[in-house]
Amino acid sequence: MRHTFFGGVSPVSHKNLTRKKPISPLKGTLDRVTIPLRASVDEMAEPLVQPGDRVQVGQPIARVEQSGLTIHASVSGQVEGVKDCPHPWGGLCPALVIHSDGENTPWPKRPTPLAPDKVTLSTLLERVNEAGIVGMGGGARNTAHKLRRAEGKITYLIVNAAECEPYVSADHRLLLEHVDQLLLCTKVLARCLRASRVAVVTQGDKLNVAEMIERRVKLQNGTTEVYTLRTRYPLGSEQAIVQTVTGQELRHGTDPLDAGCLVLNTATLYAIGQALFEGKALTHRVVTVSGGAITCPRNLWVPIGTPLSFLLDECGQLRDGAAQLLTGGVMMGRPVEDLNIPVCKDTNCLIALSDEERKDEVETACIRCGKCVAACPMHLTPTFIVKALRQEDIPFLKRLRLEDCISCGCCSFVCPANISLVELIDKAKETIAKGETEPWN
Amino acid sequence: MELNQRSNRLSPQINRPDTTQSMMFMVLVALLPALGMAVFFYGFRVIVLAAVSIASSVGFEALYCRLTGQSQTIDDLSACVTGLLLAMSLPATSAYWVPVLGSAFAIIVVKQFYGGLGKNFMNPALAGRMLLATFPMLMTNWSAPLDRLPIFGVDAVASPTPMSFLHAGTLPPQSVGQLLLGQKGGSLGEVSAFMLLLGGGYLIIRKVISPRIPASYLGTVALIALLFPHGDAGAVAWMTAQLLSGSLILGAFFLATDPTTSPVTPRGQIMFGVGCGLLTMLLRYHSSYPEGVGWAILTMNCCVWLLDRAGMPRRYGIHNFAVTGHLLRRAHASVSKIKFVMPEHTRRKSGEMPGEAHLDTIRTLAISWAKLAAVVAVTCVVISWVHSATDLRTAQAEDQAQQALLSRVMPQASVRTETPYRAAGALSITAGYSEENQLMGYCVEVQSQGFGGIITMVVGVDLDGKVTGVAVTDHKEDPSVSDKAMSPSALSRYVGRSGTLRTDGVNAIDSVAGATATSKALTAGVNRALSIIANLDTEGAELNVDDTL
Repeated sequence: MRHTFFGGVSPVSHKNLTRKKPISPLKGTLDRVTIPLRASVDEMAEPLVQPGDRVQVGQPIARVEQSGLTIHASVSGQVEGVKDCPHPWGGLCPALVIHSDGENTPWPKRPTPLAPDKVTLSTLLERVNEAGIVGMGGGARNTAHKLRRAEGKITYLIVNAAECEPYVSADHRLLLEHVDQLLLCTKVLARCLRASRVAVVTQGDKLNVAEMIERRVKLQNGTTEVYTLRTRYPLGSEQAIVQTVTGQELRHGTDPLDAGCLVLNTATLYAIGQALFEGKALTHRVVTVSGGAITCPRNLWVPIGTPLSFLLDECGQLRDGAAQLLTGGVMMGRPVEDLNIPVCKDTNCLIALSDEERKDEVETACIRCGKCVAACPMHLTPTFIVKALRQEDIPFLKRLRLEDCISCGCCSFVCPANISLVELIDKAKETIAKGETEPWN
Repeated sequence: MELNQRSNRLSPQINRPDTTQSMMFMVLVALLPALGMAVFFYGFRVIVLAAVSIASSVGFEALYCRLTGQSQTIDDLSACVTGLLLAMSLPATSAYWVPVLGSAFAIIVVKQFYGGLGKNFMNPALAGRMLLATFPMLMTNWSAPLDRLPIFGVDAVASPTPMSFLHAGTLPPQSVGQLLLGQKGGSLGEVSAFMLLLGGGYLIIRKVISPRIPASYLGTVALIALLFPHGDAGAVAWMTAQLLSGSLILGAFFLATDPTTSPVTPRGQIMFGVGCGLLTMLLRYHSSYPEGVGWAILTMNCCVWLLDRAGMPRRYGIHNFAVTGHLLRRAHASVSKIKFVMPEHTRRKSGEMPGEAHLDTIRTLAISWAKLAAVVAVTCVVISWVHSATDLRTAQAEDQAQQALLSRVMPQASVRTETPYRAAGALSITAGYSEENQLMGYCVEVQSQGFGGIITMVVGVDLDGKVTGVAVTDHKEDPSVSDKAMSPSALSRYVGRSGTLRTDGVNAIDSVAGATATSKALTAGVNRALSIIANLDTEGAELNVDDTL
């Protein structure tokens, strides 16, 4: 195991709750799904179906005009119409509501599976766009766009199998259960994008996966390298993972392409593999439902658009009524504001924290321990930022390089005085953006 | 289902590894082994002392919060840590009011006056300790180890600490094992280096402190001790003794790492440790105190602001060389902007002289430079005046005069030293030593009533009670008289005499003709000096060496 990036924290991973639970389909029957029309982080799709139309699993129901990114029905049934629904990122978003008939009949006109050696760059990009694949690790960016830009410019194809967020084991299960397809997919991608090497980055809490991949890599005698690192958050961030593989630090304003890297999440890679070799669109994803307040934590194979309340029902509801519900992980995730929020393409987990796991404590005075500075993987000084913000020392605040912050939450996590540093740094960014000071309270 | 969200605070929703309270508690736990060792060596008085110190610290904190109407902060345990650290830096023989005074200063003045936990700029425990160190008699009674003290009524006993040996340039008599385990004199927290290392290791493993400060501190001390060993013991033995003696380990692991008063940035912390190490060794080698840890840490505490700025982490993605390169490029760009233009010497049409636009700038510059020059000049004048007032040549001349006087009154002695002896009738008593550092006798400065006024004279008396010489340093006699009575031949008549001298009869010194009164006065003075030396009590006061943290 190697030490590659500065800082970081080691929260208790709690992955044992779901590590050994196989990915299982939903047992209950879904009543209806709500599929947001937000195709990727900056694109809105136009519906292709009318209210009252019958749709089947995998049938395109919406498409972005410019890029051709498609959204598919995840259940079979009848379209009820477009409604404004709550979105996991907060706020409302127009969404197609489909009433499920409970039969899940697949769409007959879906594309034929391709043989791995027949895939070319153009078919790859076309399939990825057709299958509606976006970054499934939380970014929700257009993957076809990313692949097109990367073609011919990269040395490394990096598979982000770090999954450094506590509680989440979705990628871990995917790797365990579909390792051969994932490795095949990396080979095809590396050939199409003319990447000379493939790097799989995992961390110490997934040693069985690392061992499994390494065994296969040795047999194949290929160009794949496996990086197994000491368990540390935020290994899964682009900056940390690129630094791990290439030793290069991504300056603010550059992306992994500048370092000759393409970083793909395990779930995204699996979706690409499904689209290429089985002709399936991105209609389902793995969601880890975990946390101390969940009666029966599980890894579920969930249709996109399933409301979160249904996932809670699947896992035997909450132990007691009060719990902190989160999507996206405990370190960077967002609190759930509404249980009707649907599962989106980038929702990798639903976590319900019990009272013991998340104590409410008051903020006390900063004791200048410096733990936030030692923990920040981006070399920032959160304690000075907050001090400058509270003293409204804007010139000094501007010199503290706030734009580098990746909001990983390491500083808030280690702070012994319980100061919510990430939130305050966000506020400081806003303050600077507005170019004016507002009294802080 | 009803959604019962308790907070909408962003990201990390998971329990923190440490709270302020738990960190302080772990510091208390880490100090327990050393405290236990102190109890073993000095008896249960140590427990009472620590309890008094902690209780008074917590009491003062609660009192201050109460009086100023602030919310109570005693449950963050920081006052307990201050109290225990203060107790750990006291000698076991301290009276019980000593930690009370120390914690009053530490908590109220050093900590709360500056805004409470996290805002003070000096380590409160250390500042309290240093205030107490200004009462040397309180703080230098180091009791011997294994000499268990009663809870009440402690005799003042002094036993040398390893630091006093090191200060004198020799190795302490204890072996390395004894230094580690604690068979040495010193304050409670200096007793057992091993137990302190144990506690420090615990703090590092539990991530309460980072190893940066202790490692750079101890490393610097070790390096300097290795490079500049004193005495004839080996460099390694000298380094080990320097590391294990005194309060260095307590300071490096518990006092310098106080989060509030040490830098925040990792590089700043390393610079802080190195600075502490350098200052500690400077004070240990060149100050009059044998130990310098406390002053070194307090001094570096005052530099934390600077170290924080200097130790700012470099920007992610920009390497150190990149920064240097950027600076060089920027410097080159600004230098290349400087263009030399030939000044216009012709008068412009508007009637403005060339360079007139810059006159204001020049004037302001001139004023500021003039002020600076004035300050420098005044400083130079003051310095030269002080220099002349404390002129080395004056001091040297004085010393030479004293030396000449010594050779007149005690020719066999070559060195004179001050003595602590006092006697009625003697203005001063100095001792004379030969080249071989052997005590030859004493020189007594006495006065006697002459004809015209008081005669001040120095009489040398050897150890057998015989006069070795007489010199007159001041008199108001008439020159014609004094020339006769005080001529070298007249004065040399006293040499070799002892007992009580008379003006006639047995053991007589004949008066010089024409100067009878003056001669009698001289004889009386010699007699007084002889009687002073005969009755001199040489068993008097011993000098006490100050031993401070």
